[in-house]
Amino acid sequence: MPPTPSEGQTKASSPGGASSFFTVPPPIKKLFDKFPLATYPANDLPQRSPTRQHENQLFVFSNAAAARRGRPSFNPQCLKWQAYLKFVGIDFEVTPSNNHASPTGSLPFLIPAQPVEIADAIPSHKLQKWAIEQVHCEEEQQLNLRFEVYASLLDHRIRNAWLYMLYLNDHNFEAVAQRLYVEPATSNTIVRTALAVQLKQAARDELLRTSKYIDVADLEGDAVNAFEALSSLLGDDDHFFGRPNPGLFDASVFAYTHLILDEGMGWKQNRLAPLLREHQNLVQHREKLLRFFA
Amino acid sequence: MVLQLHVWGPAFGLPSIEAHCLATIAYCSVALPKGSWEVVASSDPSVSPTGELPALQNGAVWVSRFRNIVDYLRQYSNGAWDLDQQLDDTCRADNIAFSSFIESRGQSLVDLYLYVTSQNYYRNTSPAYGSLLQWPNQWILPPQLHSAAKDRTEHLGLSSLDLQAMEDQRQRDHNAAVAAGKIPKNLIQRPRDTVSSLLGRTAQQNHFRIEALTGEFFEPLEAMLGRKAYLLAADADDTPSSIDCVALGYLSLALVPEMAFPWLRDAMRAKAPLLAEYTERMRQRCFGEAPVDIAHVFSPESAPESPLTWRAPARISVAAVGSTLLSTLADSTPFLREIRRNNSLKKAAQSEDAGLNYMEKNMANIITDSSKKDMLVSIAAVVGGFAALVGYAVHTGILSREEDEEEEDVEVMYNPGTVADMLASGK
Repeated sequence: MPPTPSEGQTKASSPGGASSFFTVPPPIKKLFDKFPLATYPANDLPQRSPTRQHENQLFVFSNAAAARRGRPSFNPQCLKWQAYLKFVGIDFEVTPSNNHASPTGSLPFLIPAQPVEIADAIPSHKLQKWAIEQVHCEEEQQLNLRFEVYASLLDHRIRNAWLYMLYLNDHNFEAVAQRLYVEPATSNTIVRTALAVQLKQAARDELLRTSKYIDVADLEGDAVNAFEALSSLLGDDDHFFGRPNPGLFDASVFAYTHLILDEGMGWKQNRLAPLLREHQNLVQHREKLLRFFA
Repeated sequence: MVLQLHVWGPAFGLPSIEAHCLATIAYCSVALPKGSWEVVASSDPSVSPTGELPALQNGAVWVSRFRNIVDYLRQYSNGAWDLDQQLDDTCRADNIAFSSFIESRGQSLVDLYLYVTSQNYYRNTSPAYGSLLQWPNQWILPPQLHSAAKDRTEHLGLSSLDLQAMEDQRQRDHNAAVAAGKIPKNLIQRPRDTVSSLLGRTAQQNHFRIEALTGEFFEPLEAMLGRKAYLLAADADDTPSSIDCVALGYLSLALVPEMAFPWLRDAMRAKAPLLAEYTERMRQRCFGEAPVDIAHVFSPESAPESPLTWRAPARISVAAVGSTLLSTLADSTPFLREIRRNNSLKKAAQSEDAGLNYMEKNMANIITDSSKKDMLVSIAAVVGGFAALVGYAVHTGILSREEDEEEEDVEVMYNPGTVADMLASGK
C-alpha cells in the first residue's frame, strides 16, 4: 500500500532536516526546560456524565424528568427502539440526548453495560441484531413476508403525514416541535430561529423528494388508508401477526399511534388522532402496550 | 365526453417512460371501456394545472396522481369503473400495503436502474427522452429528472453506480491536492485512492448491496403472487385490481427496456421468474401484443390496432416555451427557487379539489407566508451584509488598488500548479 512507504520517508527525513535548521539556542532551551511550572490534577468529569454504568444506556430524545421515570420518548424513531427493547425484556436506562452526541449522527443508540472492554455504541440499525444476541428472541422479518410490506406503510405514508403535522403545520410546530426539539438545544434566540428554520426546511425537502408539491389532503388520505390497512392486519389479535408477545412491528406501530394519541404532546391541531380513533383495535393496542411503560 | 390522460411519452417499447404513468395507463386500459378515453403523450408537466403527470383531463377538470385518478374515475362513473370493489377487508389491506411497498422500493430501484447507473442513463434513458420530448424541453427536463433521481436514491449509498459522480469526486480530490500545494508537504493527508482501486472495491460492495435491495423487493412479491394469475386473485376468473396496475408500472420498467447494464432485469429473472412471466402477461393485456412505437403515438392515424387509443399532443406554443424557459431560469436562481417551492404548497392548498375546509386553507397560507417572511429576512440579511462589506472596502480604500493586486494573484496562482504537477508525477 502507498501510505506505508511515504510515512516511513517522512520519519527518516524529518530528524535530519530538523537538526540542521532548528537547533534551539541554549538560553532559550534553559528557559523552556523550566516548564511546566506546575501541573494541576486532571479535572473531574462533569457531574451529570455517567459513572461507569452497570446498566445498558439507551440515548434518546427525551427530557430529564421523563427519562428518569422511563417514560416514552417523543421521537417516533427513538420510541420504536425504546419500546422494542422493553417488549423483548432487556433492561436499560434512558438518557436524554441529541443528535450531536451520536456517533452516527442520529438517535437512538445504545451503550451496552457488559463486557466493558467492547462497550461500543450500537446505532439503531444494529439494535435488533444486538437484542437477538442478548435474549435470543426471533427475527420477526423472517417469519412473515408481510412484515416488510406493511412496515413500508409506517416508514412512508404515516411518517410523511407525521412530518407534515409536526413540522409544517405552524401551530403544531410552535407548540410541540419548538418546545421539544428547539428550546432544550439552546437558549440563544438567533440559534433557535436558525434551528427552527432548518428543521422545517428539512421536513419540506423530505416531502418534496417524492412529489412535486405538498398536498395536505393527499398526505392525510394516505394516512387514513395506512391506518385502515394496519387495523385489518391486526384484526382481533392482541399483537400483530398473531404473536403471543409484542415485537418489533408492534413497537413500530406503537411509536406513531402513541405519540398521535398522547395528550401530553400538546398538539394544537391534531387531524390524525380522530382518523386513528376510528380504528378501535389500534387504540386498544396502544393502551395495552403503554402498560409496559407504567 | 372522451377522457384524456396526459402522460410522459413512450420509450423502450412501453407506452410511457415513467412508472406512475404506466400504472395509470394500465388501470384505464383495464377499467375503462375502449373509446371512452385516450392517451396523450404530452410529456410536459406544465400542461396540467397541477404541474404533474399523469394527469386526467375531463373538460375543465384536471386530476393528477395515480390514486387521485383512481378515486376520480370511481366517483365519475358511480362505482362502475372500479377495479377494487370486489376485494374483501384483508385484500383491501394488502392492496394498500403492497402499493405503498411497491411505490417506495420500486421507485428507488427504477431510479437507480434508469437514471443513476451512468451507462444506462447516457446510452438509453437520455436518448429516449431526446426522442419523446419537444424542443426546448429535451434540453431542460432530462437533467432535472436525472438529478431528482440521484437525490431520491442518495441515502442508499450506491452512488458509485454513477461514474459521473466518481469523476467529479476525483476532480475535487485533485483540486484539493492543487490547493494543498500551498501547505507544507508533511501536512498533506495521505494520497487518496485511485479511481481503479475505488472501482475495484466498490464494485464488490455494490454487488452485495444490489443483491440485498433487489431481493427485498422481489421476494415478497414473488411469494405473494405464487401460482395465481394476479396478485390478489382468489380464483382463476378474477380480474386484475389496482395493485396489479401499480406493480406493472414498476416491474415493466425493470423487465422490458434493453439496457447497457441490465442488472435489474437479470436480478428479476433470476429471483422472481413467476413475477417476470406475470409482468409479460399483464403487459400484453394492458398495452397490447406489439411494443409501442413512438412514431404511431405522434401520428395516431397510421397506428395498428391496439388496446390504447392515442391522440397526438398539441404542438408546443410560443407562450408555453416562454413560460418553460422562465420557470427554468427561476428554478436555478437561489432565492426565487425557495419562493417557488413555498408557492407549490400554497397552490395545492388553494386549488378547489384539495378538499380542505376554509380554516385549514387559511392555515396553510399562514405557513407559506411565514416561511416567505423567513426568506425575506435572509435576503435582507445577505444584502445588508454585502452592502456593509462593500462600504467598508470603499472606506478603507481596498477597492481602489484593484489592478496591482490582480497581477500579484497571477504569479501566486502559477506556483501551486507546478507543485501539484510534481506531486502528480511522483504518485
